[in-house]
Parts: sequence; C-alpha cells; structure tokens
Amino acid sequence: MISLFWENLRISLGSIFGNKSRSILTALGIVIGVLSVTLMGTLISGLDRTFEKSMSFLSRDVLIISRMDWFGGDMDWWELRNRPRIKEDYVEQLREKSQFVAAVAPMAERGGSIFRGDKRIDTRFFGTTPEYMATNESADVITGRYFTDGENRSGARVMIIGGDVADALFTDEDPIDKYVKIGSHKFRVVGVLKKQGKFMGMFSLDNQAVLPFGTFQRLFSRRGWMNVRVKVNTDNYDEAKEEIYGVMRQIRGLKPMEKDDFAINQSATMEAQYKAIKLAIGGTGLFITALSLIVGGIGIMNIMFVSVKERTKEIGVRKALGATQSMILGQFLMEAVLICLIAGLVGMGLAGGLSLLINQFFPSSMPVGLAIGSIILSVVIGIVSGLIPSYQAARLDPIDALRYE
Amino acid sequence: MADLISLKEIKRHYDVGGEVVRALDGVDLIINPNEYISIMGPSGSGKSTLMNMIGCLDTPTEGIYEFEGELVHKMDDNQLASIRNRKIGFVFQTFNLLPKATALRNVEVPLIYANMTKNDRIEKAKIALISVGLEERMHHKPNELSGGQRQRVAIARALVNDPSIILADEPTGNLDSKSGVEIMKILDKLHSGGNTIILVTHEEYIADHADRTIHLFDGKIKVDKKVTKKRQVST
Ligand SMILES: Nc1ncnc2c1ncn2[C@@H]1O[C@H](COP(=O)(O)OP(=O)(O)O)[C@@H](O)[C@H]1O
Ligand SMILES: [Mg+2]
Repeated sequence: MISLFWENLRISLGSIFGNKSRSILTALGIVIGVLSVTLMGTLISGLDRTFEKSMSFLSRDVLIISRMDWFGGDMDWWELRNRPRIKEDYVEQLREKSQFVAAVAPMAERGGSIFRGDKRIDTRFFGTTPEYMATNESADVITGRYFTDGENRSGARVMIIGGDVADALFTDEDPIDKYVKIGSHKFRVVGVLKKQGKFMGMFSLDNQAVLPFGTFQRLFSRRGWMNVRVKVNTDNYDEAKEEIYGVMRQIRGLKPMEKDDFAINQSATMEAQYKAIKLAIGGTGLFITALSLIVGGIGIMNIMFVSVKERTKEIGVRKALGATQSMILGQFLMEAVLICLIAGLVGMGLAGGLSLLINQFFPSSMPVGLAIGSIILSVVIGIVSGLIPSYQAARLDPIDALRYE
Repeated sequence: MADLISLKEIKRHYDVGGEVVRALDGVDLIINPNEYISIMGPSGSGKSTLMNMIGCLDTPTEGIYEFEGELVHKMDDNQLASIRNRKIGFVFQTFNLLPKATALRNVEVPLIYANMTKNDRIEKAKIALISVGLEERMHHKPNELSGGQRQRVAIARALVNDPSIILADEPTGNLDSKSGVEIMKILDKLHSGGNTIILVTHEEYIADHADRTIHLFDGKIKVDKKVTKKRQVST
C-alpha cells in the first residue's frame, strides 16, 4: 500500500499544482479559517498570561472603595457624578467599625509631570500613608526606604518613585537623596519601587510616584480623586465585603431603601469582567472561525466534485487497470486532505507571522498545542468535505466512466 | 486444458427510458488459452459490451460467466478489480492514456495497483515498453507521441502485468493504416509468444490476423468460425 500512497500523493500534488489559481481560491476559505482560529487562540492565550501576571498587583484580599464601579455597572453618568467623594476619615472609621480590616490606606491620586533639570516625565502620583505598603503585596521598595509616619504627619517633601520614573530622570545615577520637582514644589527622592511591568501589556505600573498623604493633601487639591484601599484579614472575601458594605453604608448615612452611592472594587470584579471580554472575543472568534471553516469546507467539497467530474474518464481507466473502489476513494480523499493541510499550514504561518507583529504592541505567542490542533482541524475538514465527492468517484461504474467525454 | 473463459447464456440489458436495449441477448462462448479471436459485427451489435463483459468491467444481467473456473458474476468489486488488474489487459480504441503522465508512468499504473515496489515496477514497465519498440520514448508524455506510439504505450500497459488475456476493442480504429499494421504486428508477436488475444475490428484484413472470427448481430453470435485461409504475410 506504500506505493499506492506515494502514487496518490503524486496525483494529488499534480492535481493541486496543475490548477494553481483554482486551488488557491479554494484553499482561501480554509486559510482564513485556520488563520482566525490560531490568531484568536494566540490572542486569548496571550491575554490570559498577561492577565494572570497583571492580576498579581491586585490581590484578591484587597478591596478598593471608590465612588464608582470599575466596570460601569448600569448606573447613569449623572447619578455617578453626584455621588459624594470618598473622604480621608473613612480610613479610621473603617478600621474601627469593621472586624475584617488588616490594613487600610487612603489613595489620593492625580496626574502631572515630574521634572529634574531638563528631564521630565508625565506620570501619575498619589498620596498615601505608610500603611499602604501593608495593603499592596506587589509594591516593594528596592533602593532607599519608604517614608515614615512622622514625614506623613509633617507633610515632608519626600517621594518614592516607580522604576519608569527613575529610568527617565536618573539615567546612570543613584536617585536616592536627589531632588525632583512637581510644578514649583521640590521633593527629595527617598526610595525606588521594584518594577512590576505592564498591566495587560498596555500601561506601565512603574510610571508612578508615591508621596506622603499629608504632603499630597497640603500641596494639591483636598478635593481630588480618592480611593480607600483595604486589605482584609480573612479568606472569606465575600463575608468581609458584605460587612464592609454595611460599614460604608453606615458611614455614608444611607437609609435602608437608598441605593449604594459608593463602590467596592476587587480584582475579582476585574477578573469577572475579563472573563466576559474573553468570552466575547472567543465567542466572536469561534463564530467567525466556524463560519469561514464551513465556507472553506464547502469550497473544498465543491472543487472536489468538479475534480471528480473532470477526471471521470481517468477514473474509468484506473478502474479498468485494476483500481478498487477504496483506492479511488483514497486518491480523492488524499487530494482534499492535502489542499486543506497546505491551506492550514499557510494559515498557521500567517498567524505566526501576525502574532509576531502583534507581539510588538501586545504580548502574544502561538501555543504549540494550538498549532497542532489547527493542523489536525484542517485534516479533519479535508476528510469531511472530501468524503462525499471521493465516495462518488469510488462508486462510479467503470463503463459509464470510460464512456464519459 | 481448462477453459480460460466460459460464457453461458449471457445477457446484458439496458433500460433506456423505459425501453429495454438488449446489448447482449444470450451469448454462449468458450475461449481457450492462446486463442487469437477477432470479433466483427455492425455498429451497435454488442461487440464492446461483450468485451467489457469478458474484461470484468461489466456484469451480466443474466447468465453464467466463469473466468479460469471462477464465477465472475458472483464477485464483489474488489475481486473484479483484482482480476482486471492481474488477468486482463485492456487496449482501447481511444488509447485512454493518462495525459499528464509519461509513457513509463502510464505503464507503471497497473503495477502500482498490484502493489509492486518501485524498482520492480520501473524495471517491468521498461521491459514492456522495449517489447513494443518504445525504449526511446519512455519519458515522453502522450501529447508528444504519435497515435501509433500512444497505442503501443497502451499495449505495453496492457501486457505489463502478464495478463491471461489481452482485450483490444478496435485498437486500430483511430490509426492510419501504416500504424495499424504496426500494431497488428505487435499483437501477432504477443500471440506467438503465448498470449490469448481478443480483438474487435470492422476491417476484414485486420480480422484475418486472428485464428477464429466471431460475428455478432443484435447481441447474438451469428457466426463463429476458424479462419482457415493461410495468414497473409504482413506487409
Ligand atoms: N451504458 C449503456 N446504456 C444504454 N445503452 C447502451 C449502453 N452501452 C451500450 N448500449 C447499447 O447497447 C448496444 C450495444 O452497444 P455496443 O456494445 O457499444 O456496440 P458496438 O461496440 O458493437 O458498436 C447499442 O445499442 C448501445 O446503444
Ligand atoms: Mg464498440
């Protein structure tokens, strides 16, 4: 049967490359299908890995109390706008009233530029207390130190800078005890944060600076954007969240019928949101892919019918020379599978190239399993769409086939 | 010696638009090894149908067909394919070569279906092509060959598997008379080498090459006679 295999391979290649433009057009559907399935898979797996890496900065046991939900919810914008601000004293009230608070810190935040001589970086800086470090596991000072309670209370002009800020303002020097400026205010750098990388590969977590909360309040608006970060002391996040909701409603003085006018965010909310996005991308992708593969498969089936029709006489001759039905079936099935396989390889190659290109902007790389899977998929499509035409060829009556002109 | 082929009361009927066409209508025929038979008859008398029947490409509507003692009309597709492959060599009026394959590859095809290894295959195919005088043309494709040369490739393909019988349906029908004579020389040579040959023809002088002539008329054998006159010396 080995010689028959090579013969069939040879016939199939001859047929495919003998009708180049026809084969290319036919294979296009499969190319697009495999391209979209591998690209989609590549993107999702890239998204997954990035998400997991990025999520570590938002620990599961951290609740972030803010005016708004990170992911909109169904609130209208007007109502959100009129919600009261999150205030500084919530920090102490939460610590007092909730039994689940392990650490709690305010985070007042704003954007701006930090200067050093003629160097400058546009960044975000936030004011918080020394307790912040206890609420954020991934924040770590690698050189220098964090600021102290005393510095916080006195509003000392000290600053901890993120890795990007350090890189931008201090190319080769040690930043510690050097001075930088925000507007006209001069700050002494006391520490540099460990690099965390990019969130979802898109925005850097290292382009930030931390000031003592007292300092921030004094120098910048007291009415700015503020969150309260709570690290809970339990594994039962739901119970903790429930209780803190209650405490917050009490702090806000809400009546039982009134709606919440604040939000408690959590990496879990982000995770749920992420899963929804992933599902949407995956679902759309699956739909497009399935559609193009079905269209591609129909194209293959169609061209195989044409091929069988064109070669009716050849089939008759081959039968007269001793080909059995299964040999003829194998010949045409091989052709269908080969077109799909070549198309699948081309599609995968394109997807690989594209994912390298996309990788410049967004982390993505093709998983090996996916590559193997899409090759298997194209072979299966070849078999499925080639089966009926090949069966038709195999069942041709030798005499009818020989008489066909 | 046992009969090579035995047909008893063979009928082949076609249903064409509700009307029955009796292409073969009760044919009895015994063929012994190394016979050289010509079949003649008007167009539509059933000559090709009979050849296809003998060649196991077609199965009878009624009747008993034994090939080397085995009942052909009871065989399944695989068994029929195997007989066609190993026992029968077909030569067609229109050559029926594979247009994209060289002469050599065309001759190799039956050996591929016989599952022969590549080296044996090529060697056998070359010997067959040499025996029909085409050693110079092995690597030419059909469209690079003359009609006579194409038919010689077809004969090489028919005999490459050492069949029990060679069936030639109007092998000279598409050739000029000079090429036709050459083809007949090859068939004569194969016959004297021990092969069994059946050939269909309209031409008396071609039929005279055979030792026995059968006349078909309306699907029935009307004449079945030994050719008594001494064979002409081929010109
Ligand atoms: N596949 C077929 N379907 C219907 N009729 C056929 C078929 N093959 C042959 N016939 C009919 O059977 C008769 C014998 O045909 P054939 O054997 O080809 O004659 P010949 O070769 O002697 O010219 C003719 O009348 C022809 O029309
Ligand atoms: Mg005929």
